Amino acid sequence: MTYETLITERHGPVGWLVFNRPEAGNAMNATMFDELAQVWIEIDHDPAVRVIAVTGVGEYFNTGRDVEALAREPERLRILRGQMRAYDMHFTARHQQVAKPVVAAVNGICAGGGLQFVTDSDIALCSSNARFLDPHVSLGQTVEYSAFTLARTIPFGVAMRLALTGRHEHMSAARALEIGLVTEIVDPPEKLREAVQTAGELIARNSPAALVHSKRAMWRALQMGLDDACRAGSQDIAAMWDHPDQIEGPAALAEKREPKWQPPEAGER
Amino acid sequence: MTTRDYETLVVERRGPVGWLLFNRPRARNAMNLIMRSELAEAWIELDEDETVMVIVCSGAGETFSSGVDLADLADPERAEVFRGDIERPDAVSFTARNQGVRKPVIAAVNGLCVGGAFMWVVDADIAIAAADAQFIDPHTTIGQVVGRGTLGMVSDMPFEPTMRLALMGSHERLSAPRAYALGLVTQLVEPPERLHDEAQALGELIARNSPAALAATKRAMWRTLQMGLDDACRLASQDIESMWTHPDQTEGSMAFDTGREPKWRPLARRGAERVKRR
Repeated sequence: MTYETLITERHGPVGWLVFNRPEAGNAMNATMFDELAQVWIEIDHDPAVRVIAVTGVGEYFNTGRDVEALAREPERLRILRGQMRAYDMHFTARHQQVAKPVVAAVNGICAGGGLQFVTDSDIALCSSNARFLDPHVSLGQTVEYSAFTLARTIPFGVAMRLALTGRHEHMSAARALEIGLVTEIVDPPEKLREAVQTAGELIARNSPAALVHSKRAMWRALQMGLDDACRAGSQDIAAMWDHPDQIEGPAALAEKREPKWQPPEAGER
Repeated sequence: MTTRDYETLVVERRGPVGWLLFNRPRARNAMNLIMRSELAEAWIELDEDETVMVIVCSGAGETFSSGVDLADLADPERAEVFRGDIERPDAVSFTARNQGVRKPVIAAVNGLCVGGAFMWVVDADIAIAAADAQFIDPHTTIGQVVGRGTLGMVSDMPFEPTMRLALMGSHERLSAPRAYALGLVTQLVEPPERLHDEAQALGELIARNSPAALAATKRAMWRTLQMGLDDACRLASQDIESMWTHPDQTEGSMAFDTGREPKWRPLARRGAERVKRR
């Protein structure tokens, strides 16, 4: 399917989702919100895709809601606000319960609501010229869900600083690497997609079913106390026991060949 | 104090520090069934030993540990025992935290720390590593789901690098310097051969603090990982209060005032104050 505000591509096992409103800093208008809800599900269901990468066209990664465009569509704005209030959004991989690993490729400025695509990805890489900021409080708004996620995923003081400095301070790529918001900086910036494609292909060599269960168990660990998360995780571990991949993996290792994995079952998605 | 002989572990005392070394170097210190049951005993032996103030856990030879022994997992009968550990996570007994160890535990990571071995790192109170140590989680590469160690790591360091380790499987390793930067370990030891000396020195430093205060502090700190912030703080007030009437509280300030080393009370017997994990 073709989209007005997004580009989708597939390279080998990696499905790419590219924000394509460079004239608006890849901010999200009503169409983009609609298209994002659909595209995650489309890519997640594509059997040829093992890993999903998300990036932006141009100098921006994503800058959140397109406030001006949405002001022209008051009815849509009302619906989006309702979803926000009910914590029932549909524009990130996590909102859409994407089962496959998602890698964010932050190609430039990532601001405000755009941070949600970083927090809701499993892994993030960025170009050396990427910058992160959360301008909400500078615009008289409360921070959004990305800030609450960051409070769990990076050191708290760093998350708070990003929230309270608003548009008056940017976090550099180097600092994002240091504190574990991203795991790799790509320099020169033009090599970002290449690096993300490589990382995606490495992940794609692992068992798809084991990846799905591992991803689920890891995210659950953010939802509850340590022991409860480990208890719940034991069910995910047990879920792979009678799976053919569990036999194929060690066999391939012993025979020094690439494993032949089963496609993940519908129930594992 | 007499100590029993272990087949797969070396258990020693050096001053106030009790040492627990994984000792199957030919199997890269993988945990087989014998080690599994010996660990359960060794943790309790060291926790009960009045001469031991701090426990260090490390690997003999070049590897910290390669996790659960794949040879045991390949044997249906032996694999069944490890499966049981997954089915009954509360009955697992091979880490310090599993065994309700009250004394501070330091993991000293030497060489490779693989998959299931993350458990000993995340269940230790403090982890340090040789500068050439490496962490690798091969689970997804062999068609398995990440283990409890990786899930525990979510509480130990930023989420995204942890997820990367989980999803990359054998195809990538986390270096010791990166683990240090991320806070998974708090000290890098260079040259790597000095790891055990530095662990001993760190243990001796900690051993100068009040054993009762250390135990109450450790308990309160771990509880913060189990619940929301305010709930953890409310419950911790009991741990704080538990020291108010303790003789160490008077001894601590007196020793400080007169510039001498304090004489602490030994930790109460195990069980006297033990709080169940759940």
